Amino acid sequence: MDLDFITQSLVIGLTENAPLVLAAIGFALLYRLTGLINVAYSETITLGAYFGMWLNTTYGLDFYTILIPTGLLTGLLSVATYLAIFRPAKRRNVGTLEMIIVSFGLSIFLRHGLQFVFGYPVRFYDVPPPDTIMILGVGVTSFRLLAVASVALLSLLLWVFIQRSRYGLQIRALANDEDLAQVSGIRPLAVTTLIWFVAGVAGGLAGAFYGVGSNVSALLGWRQFLLILMVALVGGSWGLGGVILVGVGTSVALAAMALQFDQSLYAQLVLIVAFVVVLKVRGTRLTETAKV
Amino acid sequence: MNLDWLDAFLITGLFQVVMVIGLALLLHLQLGLTRIANFGVVGFWGLGMYAFGVLYVKVDWAFGEPWQFLVCAAAATVVAGLAGLLVGWLIADLNTDGVLVGTLGFATAVQILATTQDDLTGGARGMGGLGFPYDIGRVKDNEFLWLVITAAVVVAILMYAWRVHRSPYGRLLIAVGGNEPLARSLGKSTFRAKLWLFAVGSAGMGLLGAMNGVMVHYLDVGNIGVGVTLAAMVGLILGGTARVWGAVVGVILTVGLFDIVIQSYLPLPKEWYTQAIPVLREAAFGLTLMIVLLFRPLGLLGDMRRDKLMGKIHGR
Amino acid sequence: MVADVVDAVALARPRIRVQGAVKSFSGRVVVEVDDLVLGDRPIEGLIGPNGAGKTTLMRMIMHSTPLDRGRISLLPADGGDVVLSSLPAHRMARHGVVKSNQVIMDFDKLTIWDSLLLAVAEARYEQPHRIFSERPVFRRHEDEIRHHLDFFGFADPTAFAMSAGEKKLLDIVRCLLLRPTFLLLDEPTAGLPDELTEKVMTVVRDVAATGTSVVIVEHDLNVIWSLCDEVLFMAEGKVILRGDPPSIRANRTVVEKYLGEGHV
Repeated sequence: MDLDFITQSLVIGLTENAPLVLAAIGFALLYRLTGLINVAYSETITLGAYFGMWLNTTYGLDFYTILIPTGLLTGLLSVATYLAIFRPAKRRNVGTLEMIIVSFGLSIFLRHGLQFVFGYPVRFYDVPPPDTIMILGVGVTSFRLLAVASVALLSLLLWVFIQRSRYGLQIRALANDEDLAQVSGIRPLAVTTLIWFVAGVAGGLAGAFYGVGSNVSALLGWRQFLLILMVALVGGSWGLGGVILVGVGTSVALAAMALQFDQSLYAQLVLIVAFVVVLKVRGTRLTETAKV
Repeated sequence: MNLDWLDAFLITGLFQVVMVIGLALLLHLQLGLTRIANFGVVGFWGLGMYAFGVLYVKVDWAFGEPWQFLVCAAAATVVAGLAGLLVGWLIADLNTDGVLVGTLGFATAVQILATTQDDLTGGARGMGGLGFPYDIGRVKDNEFLWLVITAAVVVAILMYAWRVHRSPYGRLLIAVGGNEPLARSLGKSTFRAKLWLFAVGSAGMGLLGAMNGVMVHYLDVGNIGVGVTLAAMVGLILGGTARVWGAVVGVILTVGLFDIVIQSYLPLPKEWYTQAIPVLREAAFGLTLMIVLLFRPLGLLGDMRRDKLMGKIHGR
Repeated sequence: MVADVVDAVALARPRIRVQGAVKSFSGRVVVEVDDLVLGDRPIEGLIGPNGAGKTTLMRMIMHSTPLDRGRISLLPADGGDVVLSSLPAHRMARHGVVKSNQVIMDFDKLTIWDSLLLAVAEARYEQPHRIFSERPVFRRHEDEIRHHLDFFGFADPTAFAMSAGEKKLLDIVRCLLLRPTFLLLDEPTAGLPDELTEKVMTVVRDVAATGTSVVIVEHDLNVIWSLCDEVLFMAEGKVILRGDPPSIRANRTVVEKYLGEGHV
């Protein structure tokens, strides 16, 4: 395996698929801290792309300017879905399986509902072609570099936040034992809302990066969902670091295989098989029933 | 037989309803009774359809109809059943999250393979060449007959599901869905029960896929996306996951509403039908899933009435 | 001569051997049993304070909780050795090892008839193609099931078990229908009214008389003293004392220290 192939895979993988890592972090945050697999997270990503595009084309703002408002908008949307749907569902004792189906329903609803707002055709960001910088002999756009930087920055911020800050401590306590956390004076509603907001921001930003790099369509987020789910499920058991590691590894693997097979779909297929095998091998340890 | 009164769209609409009822009934056994979150319904259906299509078109069969159809359909059913065995083996000891990944991953894999193996499947261009295993007259006559045949198959599936409820096998499935560790402590091999249920269900889905291939004549990878799984799921959940007839009632009220009533009988502007109506259909399905699960999780028909059932079968 | 026969009969009971078994949860050792044989006497009682590890030990025997270390084997009456700790949980019943549950465990969607027919149905009838097997299964087992229903007073078996007591009894009847050779009962009379407690005790005696070994965990010491041939006292994960009921009862210091004055 020659050096060129390795460096290309690394650079392309890290830069082109940085949004994947970002999205996986947001999804894993939600999954690990609330136990919920939110299929509608893929629409957080999609809507991030749409909001960014809308801000960009309607107000003529450049890509860097729309990032923060986009993140805020999707963060708020995420919180809205929590307050309007998932929290009431939990209070009605909707079970784990049904929750996933509810989130699936929400995902479908948003994916198609948004087309009545933003139209059916594929949309595009209106941005000048970004600068290309050569990294290790591979051309990388400035948008992509920004994506990588955002991922790194956000991951660092999240890590510091969760591990060190007062709120982070509360989040972790809440994740471990809701009743105990409540008794200790932690307000589950406030903390959970914060989790949903942060997850929404991560997803929305990932969507904006995806969208500016290609196009904006209703299926944008859903196309990535399976991969995000697998990265979060496999990597998430080792915490935030695990998600980043598995996410980066997956990104590089995707790039390497796409280069090798000249077909990105095969790369996805290989990864699906790989992840399912990992889950299966690990799976038997998870079912420690011990209730009978 | 004079079928002039029967609109071509109506036949297509009825066929859709019948097809999705069949899928929803099989999903009822997996999701409703045994609580296996099969998000990959379209994968087994699509695999059956494409296996059938490839065998039908690409192989030079020595015999004619209806044997060509029967052999290819049987093969497609077996292929789908084997896939179900494999996927079932992968997911039978995983929790709900793992089942989601496994089934969704499988469906995605099927769609990817159908797209990439384009010498076999035509890929994104599509594959034609399928036809009815008979010719009794005009296109509409042929289609109507196929509708009746497919309906007969779905009625058979309904009867099977109905009988499962009244047999030790069904009782085991309900037990596994309700409290798997407890069922295991009674000596039941819950892994095997789930595995075989998945294999049988997938085989059925594969057969339905093959029959769909015959009706549409032309296979398109765009048609084996998550929308099919969604339709089966929303129909089942709206009607009632726990009841056999739930699948029937729910699908009529969802797919029937959109693919028959709105498609053929509502006087809506013509341009709505290209994009607005299909998008509205999916959005409505998604909304229905949320509303039902939040407000009436057991659907319109509610819960199983096993006390009545036991009384009827065994008396006091 | 008679004594020899009695001894021979007394020897032929299934026994369970626990060797070097250890289980920890979150770093805390919950069960630590070096060498223990259960089943030499027909009915053995296991008592001890909450958190002593009694239920965990039972679950380890049933292999619904995996062992961190050690080995648990079944020594059947007719010889041989079956390593229970390497079997999957659903194989226990096949070897006749059955346990009732301390926590109420039930199938919410299944009626009483359902629950019991589930317990007795043989695996060959529970297959996807056997959709007409309800009649044969029912006919084979109807009498046996009705016997238990009548004995425990289930008025309407087509209904669901509603009260905690009904569900507890249902759990026990399911166990009995599995024809156990080694029966573990985890607090079977908890929450039951006196008449039903009496019935449970009768059934336990009957089952033990036919050669089944019974180990019963109980907090109701009246049941223990009147039912058991031998009593084991467990605390902090270990079996500390073992003897016939009078001697355990007389061991005031330990029992009082853990169970309080009022019990002796």
